[in-house]
Amino acid sequence: MESTAAITQSTTRTESRQGKLWRIAAIARNAFREAVRDRVLYNLVLFVLLLTGASVFIGELSGGQERKVIVDLGLSAMLLFGVFIAIFVGVGLVYKEIERRTIYAVFSKPVGRGEFLVGKYLGLCLTLLVNVLVMGVGVSLALLYVSHGWDPLIPKIWPAVLLIYMELMLLTATALLFSSFSSPALSALLTFMVFIIGHFSADLKSLANSLGGSGARWLFTGLYYLLPNLSNYSFITPAAHGRTPSPGFLFATALYAFVYIAVILAAATLVFSRRNFK
Amino acid sequence: MNDRTRTIALGLVVVIGIACAALLVRGLDTMRPPDDPNAIDESLYINGKTARRISLGFNGLAADWYWMRSLQYVGRKIINDNDVPLDNLGLLNLKLLAPLLDTATTLDPEFLDPYEYAAIVLPAINVNEAIRITKKGIDANPNAWRLYHHLGYIYWQQHDYQAASEIYGRGAQIEGAPPWMEAMKAKMAADGGSRATAREIYTRMYEESADEKVRDMARRRLLQLDSLDQRESLGKLFAAYKARTGKCPSSWKEIEPVFRALRVAVDASGAPLDPSGTPYVLRAGACEVELDPKSEIPAK
Repeated sequence: MESTAAITQSTTRTESRQGKLWRIAAIARNAFREAVRDRVLYNLVLFVLLLTGASVFIGELSGGQERKVIVDLGLSAMLLFGVFIAIFVGVGLVYKEIERRTIYAVFSKPVGRGEFLVGKYLGLCLTLLVNVLVMGVGVSLALLYVSHGWDPLIPKIWPAVLLIYMELMLLTATALLFSSFSSPALSALLTFMVFIIGHFSADLKSLANSLGGSGARWLFTGLYYLLPNLSNYSFITPAAHGRTPSPGFLFATALYAFVYIAVILAAATLVFSRRNFK
Repeated sequence: MNDRTRTIALGLVVVIGIACAALLVRGLDTMRPPDDPNAIDESLYINGKTARRISLGFNGLAADWYWMRSLQYVGRKIINDNDVPLDNLGLLNLKLLAPLLDTATTLDPEFLDPYEYAAIVLPAINVNEAIRITKKGIDANPNAWRLYHHLGYIYWQQHDYQAASEIYGRGAQIEGAPPWMEAMKAKMAADGGSRATAREIYTRMYEESADEKVRDMARRRLLQLDSLDQRESLGKLFAAYKARTGKCPSSWKEIEPVFRALRVAVDASGAPLDPSGTPYVLRAGACEVELDPKSEIPAK
């Protein structure tokens, strides 16, 4: 009897886990569709125009450095456009549902608040993935065009593209965290500040080391470890010189992103689950 | 007003509005006071280190922008005097070039082209800055043997053959450095001021550089070296002619038979051609030839 009860309990747990995953997948799919309906991917048109223009005209301006400029421009535009999408779409993910009161319909079903947040997050990550992949292909095609054939830089830009995607995933999670308790405008501002500070991490550390007072040193050291270190994800410039990160570095940055995103989403779920929608 | 009429009316407003705006811009352009020619030389507001700090991971793109700005800056200055070789732009007051190249290389220390440009163009403007930027490049890219070649070139231009020899020697030890770097070390130490060394250095520059402008400068310098050899030979011919006739030739026709006998290339008037194919100019009565101002070979 006891073993039958244990099997039933285990089966129920597995089904519940599967159900949870299905619900998250359904929310993610809807978030992706919503982003596509909101014409978020239209930025790709602008990107293609930018790269086409650069491929045609940059050769004359750059003194024979068009390949480097194409990679710098393409990957920088990928990061910039991605940051704007992560911030401006990310901060509206939850807010729009509350504003349109569709969140009541969602929560009237057996959907947990954490599932809702994770689903929304993954939906936007999927949108960003499509965006980044198409842009990566665009940069590769531009390199093919300027090199009049195969270019050894093409395979070398993809690790940098992966790092950009990880940075965007981190920023999306940050935007979601802020949007779980504040207005879209404030969330966008705070996320943008995190993006800026995240790229000043090295300065935070050197500031901490150069300060005399132990309190200030602890504060800046704490901030250095607390805030996301986005400078690790900047590999655009080395990629333009044909350099690739080591597999160990890629793994460590992926692990850091995973841990940090898990922390942010857990914090966002904590805040969001205590939020009263009445 | 029905929908169709309204659409046409609004479309017309857009088209006519844009046309009017374009006309107004043209009008404003004519009314605006002329640009200050010194504005192009305004100092940079931020230095390289600050620019790198605030670039938020876009430092490569910012470096490209500073690099293209350097090229435009030089291009705009030499637009009226296209015949000036790249290594002789000292009179153009390119005071902003060093900070521009310095910023570009601080933003992206692995970007080698600005270092090459600094080594070729800057010595005529500010040799200390040229040396500093090239040394900065060596510190950031200790395995880039080309930077040692560039620094050796600067020292060679300054007639500091000992320093040039040392730098070529250091560069020759780098893995992948071509054997001629070692040969250049010896040449600089033994015979730095000779024409043969100059020919060697410009030949290597022509062969190794990916920059078309630098290659063109090296090509013209090689032509200049050939022309110097030619003018020396012509001088000897004139001396022999003077010894025979007691006077210098007053026209090319007088000495043309000698050229024919020696198979010297001449044009229809009998004037010998410089290595670029332009006839030399005879300084009548002085037993000397000069480069035609139209020749692409630099006079200095």
